[in-house]
Amino acid sequence: MTALVEEKKVEIEKGDIMSGRVIVVTSGKGGVGKTTTNANIGTALARAGKKVVMIDTDLGLRNLDLLLGLENRIVYTIVDVVEERCKLKQALVKDKKNPNLCLLAAAQTRDKTAVTEEQLKDICEQLKKDFDFILVDCPAGIEQGFQNAIAGASEAIVVTTPEMSAVRDADRIIGLLEAKEEIKSYKLLVNRVRPNMIKTNDMMSVEDVSEILSTPILGIIPEDAGIITSTNKGEPIVNDEKSLAGQAYANVARRILGEDVPFLNLEEDTSVMGKVKKFFSGLLGKEK
Amino acid sequence: MKDIFTDLYNKVLGFFRQTEKNQEEESTKDVACNRLKFVLMQDRTNLTPELMDRMRKELVELLSKYVEMDKEALELGFEQEGNQMALMLSIPVLRAKDEAEIEATLAKEDEEKAKLEENKEAEPDEASDDTAEVITDADNSIADETDETDTDETEEEISAVSDADETVSKSDAVVTKPVSKTASKTETEDKKVKAVK
Repeated sequence: MTALVEEKKVEIEKGDIMSGRVIVVTSGKGGVGKTTTNANIGTALARAGKKVVMIDTDLGLRNLDLLLGLENRIVYTIVDVVEERCKLKQALVKDKKNPNLCLLAAAQTRDKTAVTEEQLKDICEQLKKDFDFILVDCPAGIEQGFQNAIAGASEAIVVTTPEMSAVRDADRIIGLLEAKEEIKSYKLLVNRVRPNMIKTNDMMSVEDVSEILSTPILGIIPEDAGIITSTNKGEPIVNDEKSLAGQAYANVARRILGEDVPFLNLEEDTSVMGKVKKFFSGLLGKEK
Repeated sequence: MKDIFTDLYNKVLGFFRQTEKNQEEESTKDVACNRLKFVLMQDRTNLTPELMDRMRKELVELLSKYVEMDKEALELGFEQEGNQMALMLSIPVLRAKDEAEIEATLAKEDEEKAKLEENKEAEPDEASDDTAEVITDADNSIADETDETDTDETEEEISAVSDADETVSKSDAVVTKPVSKTASKTETEDKKVKAVK
């Protein structure tokens, strides 16, 4: 009951009529963590009690199913939906561990032309009625696949890393998002941040990236070996509350829900060597 | 013996000071930031180095009518200031021209213009002012394509310099830009040009 009231409130605030939020996760460059981000934010939102559906639009190169551990349960894909071999609801794979979470998988055997912008927009519109959040996983690149993915979205998360090529590609994406009227807001998620390298000025800081792209930050995710092991298991890292990257993703989800959550302090060098070095440099600094 | 200890001490110190040393030189982070800023300006404005060079030449041509400047030391580039992109032009002024000189140049130009008009009456207003117009027009067209919420106006701030009568040495002009009487700065503020793409 209270949930219903809350939802109503959000709708009134946003001025939307009876609809969920469609957020596209995009990056331009491949391999910066779009799909990981999608899986984790979606899982975190679902854990927070929201009804979430993720759409994998990376036709031919689907991976979101793997990250969620749902690869063996896919019967129908998004292409089956648009070619009317099944109903939209039939194609949604429900996560058994988290009943709030659904996946609409991409077809692995087809290419990006199998679904059009209009069709994707239509799917998003239909899903809006039943879900609080529709997260669209966008393929790499700025071609048709990208245009399809952003077609139904009104918000965007631009994933980047503090590397030159990723930032440059993100800038292109931001330019394209800005030109798209339907996209009302976009924010930056800086992934694979290495605080120690930033400290020694060997990596651009998150502030540098945000300033260069003149785009606000939604989240900062540290580089974490746990991402690989969690992918191995098919379980998003956000389920592991001890993991720093997991906490960071959980915080991103809370910010999406409107909470004002401070960024995690990643600066502290907690390794033994770091502490020793700090101690000695402090000592020697005083002597001089 | 003493030397060995000093040496050792310095080495140990050097090890722990590594990070501080890096700050003195340009860190790889700064290199990355600068290279990135440069390349993004090109991406966003669609201005290749060749076009920038042409713009520079045209500006030199235009401004030389009014001031005698160090053509080689003229700096032209884009800078990001928060949400806005600015076209920064820094011109070391060698000597201010006196009124007579300027008037002479302009009169000569008007003459040429008049001649040109006589030749082709169909196309008026062809000559020198064009250079400036081409540039501002380009800026505006870029701005027009972007968000309507932002101002499309092109602000120009030309802070001409006092005491310009004095002739000042070239090197002086370049180094002491902000303080000296010789520097003149033309700032063409433009709005974000991102959406051009």
